Amino acid sequence: MADEVKDLRRLVIKAFHMTEVGWGEHNDITVDGQMTVSKEMIEKLAAEEEYLEKIDIQIIKPGDHDRWTNTIMDIIPISTKVLGRIGDGITHTITGVYVMLTGVDVNGKQCHEFGSSEGNLKEQLYLNRAGTPGDDDYIISFDVTLAAGMGQERPGPTAAHRACDKFIQSYRDKLKKFKGEKCTERHEYHDIVRPGKKRVLIIKQVAGQGAMYDTHFFADEPSGVEGGRSIIDMGNMPIMVTPNEYRDGIIRSMQ
Amino acid sequence: MGIGPSTKETSLHHFRDPLLEVVAEDTDIDLMGILLVGTPDGNKEKMLVGTRAAVWAEAMRADGVIISSDGWGNSDVDYTNTCEQIGIRGIPVTGLNFSGTVAKFVVENDYLDGIVDINKSVDGTETNVVGENNMVRLDCLKAKALLKLKMRQKERQEGR
Repeated sequence: MADEVKDLRRLVIKAFHMTEVGWGEHNDITVDGQMTVSKEMIEKLAAEEEYLEKIDIQIIKPGDHDRWTNTIMDIIPISTKVLGRIGDGITHTITGVYVMLTGVDVNGKQCHEFGSSEGNLKEQLYLNRAGTPGDDDYIISFDVTLAAGMGQERPGPTAAHRACDKFIQSYRDKLKKFKGEKCTERHEYHDIVRPGKKRVLIIKQVAGQGAMYDTHFFADEPSGVEGGRSIIDMGNMPIMVTPNEYRDGIIRSMQ
Repeated sequence: MGIGPSTKETSLHHFRDPLLEVVAEDTDIDLMGILLVGTPDGNKEKMLVGTRAAVWAEAMRADGVIISSDGWGNSDVDYTNTCEQIGIRGIPVTGLNFSGTVAKFVVENDYLDGIVDINKSVDGTETNVVGENNMVRLDCLKAKALLKLKMRQKERQEGR
């Protein structure tokens, strides 16, 4: 039938809400909303990266934003594929807590070039946007100290993102095993064709100028780094993705 | 992310992008896909990738395009060129871009009348506050309404 809506594929995103975030011996999350954060990984993560000198982690409680922050490089949801590839199947994601990656070099130079967001967090972060935490969300601050001058060279920020991704992966590995029926929210998305309707294309212009201005696609995990490709390496050429791939976290903003 | 902390789109933004939801939920629209295009450093490369994006839109027989931008200033060169390349191919185009008072387009052309300014700051400046000058749902609804209007105007002009 020419005018029938055609369903191409389905993506189910199941959210698990975290109500308590506190320090613990190991990184852990439970299906009933308890998250523990540990610093046990950070020395090794810094040692694995040539351009990282140090990493610090802080738990920032909702509203507890009257504190110093280095420039904000990214805010990242913790999501993982359970079934299928990015864009179809099932994804588990955590709500109530997001990871904030910040960076500075050993000489105090912020990891940014044209304007930076270091300062008092309560003044530097606008809450409740699509891309920022809400009033009631916890933030895990992943603060990276780069080798001198490496905050402005492409390998520096890339290393910071890679280390942060390994930290997040420790949660993804547990989140993957959560029983789907225990989720606190369930969202179903469909890539659909609506024959006869106005055909509209969305174009998103993303950063690819070089240095820290980079965007990665196609990582192994949603909003991830491992397995991703840089748009700089792909010549900044246009790349087509489906709506479900996009909403499943196919993009990692690298700065 | 883009140039300018207050406009930068985080990984979380892409995961929960209001533009995608506003277009995808509209049963009058057949959303074809999302074309991601970079912002190269060199001017020649900027023209190249934007033109390739417009050729994609033409080849897909798009009835309309909504284009968003992460960042301002230097990346407006890419943005305005891509709008122009889409426009001269006869495809209605609208979009979302940060202008405020500090970032009026550094290059202008005839195809920028459907661009919604996503500035939220009081004085229209780059505030360095992450998220402040991001697009929100209302901006996206405006860009979509403008596109629908432009697509209808084109239909009328063509006597369809």
